[in-house]
Amino acid sequence: MLFRNKMELKPQVSDTPSQHQQQQKQEQREKHFHVLAVDDSETDRKILEKILSVSSCQVTCVDSGDKALEYLGLVDANHQDSASPSQSERSQEDGLKVNLIMTDYCMPGMTGYDLLKRVKGSSWKEVPVVIMSSENEPSRINKCLEGGAEDFLLKPVQLSDVKKLQPRLLKSFDQSCTNLPDIDPMTTDNSKSNNNATKRKALSPEPSERRPKMKELTVL
Amino acid sequence: MAYVGQLQRKFVEYTKSLYREGIVDKQFTQLHNLQDESNPDFAEEVVTLFFTDSQRLLNELTNALEQQDVDFNTVDAYVHQFKGSSSSVGAQRVKDLCISFRTLCEQQNKELCLRCLQQVKLEYASFKSKLESLFQLEKQIVEAGGTIPTID
Repeated sequence: MLFRNKMELKPQVSDTPSQHQQQQKQEQREKHFHVLAVDDSETDRKILEKILSVSSCQVTCVDSGDKALEYLGLVDANHQDSASPSQSERSQEDGLKVNLIMTDYCMPGMTGYDLLKRVKGSSWKEVPVVIMSSENEPSRINKCLEGGAEDFLLKPVQLSDVKKLQPRLLKSFDQSCTNLPDIDPMTTDNSKSNNNATKRKALSPEPSERRPKMKELTVL
Repeated sequence: MAYVGQLQRKFVEYTKSLYREGIVDKQFTQLHNLQDESNPDFAEEVVTLFFTDSQRLLNELTNALEQQDVDFNTVDAYVHQFKGSSSSVGAQRVKDLCISFRTLCEQQNKELCLRCLQQVKLEYASFKSKLESLFQLEKQIVEAGGTIPTID
């Protein structure tokens, strides 16, 4: 009985600051998880963009590997390699944040694999790259994973595929994101269970991802 | 209100028949699942985009296969694209034909490729006309003040 009261009391006591912080964190995530989507198919770009924005990501779509490199500052407008590596670093300093690159494998000109290698050999190498392909070829999949791809998705890509990626990607995103202290997982679990009913779930880590952190909150 | 009910029933029956006949597959459902109040026409928008893209691809394919010396790599590249986009919108039969088409490209058989292209065009035309009818039904329901039923 005493324990139950304590549990009920806690959310109210820590209500304002921790809920506010959680809200802030969620908003930051929603505004700032930026995905660069690369696909030569207009139909696929539109679908991917929708899947990602329904998942509360900010999305930039380009139709080729070359355009992706241009966007990242790795080549100039003439598609020459940037005179110095610092151009891409400058883009990052200027605040250009890309948290995930999702690219089609099969594209005219530069393939998704080529793009992967270019990104991994650049100052953007920490950014996870997910490759998408309609061909379920084990050798292709292995090549991409060995080349540093975060994951390999079979097309047509679906909302559930992106949801499966989220916990893994968000963990590192959250760590790099903000100085806000850890939020009480119990309050977040309550609010999240209400959201589960709607199809459009905001980008938020699964409760299981939060559980390890509970260990830190031993004193109630 | 009875009129709306009639339209809605027609819509449900028509949609079910499209699935039953394999005209559309579950990817088509996925497109509808991405719709919401802020973007209630998303599926239609994507399919319309697909129509434009398909027209271009079919023209390119026709052109490529009419060449004296057919470049089968080029033909295959276009078929691959068409297979991809039809798969993305759930145009199951069109997609399946594209898969067969690619095999024929590998064999570099011009005659069979031309025949397959004809089949693809017919199947695509059928898909287009049926989806247009479906979207028309949706519009009628909305105009009559009804909501579009969801299909499992």
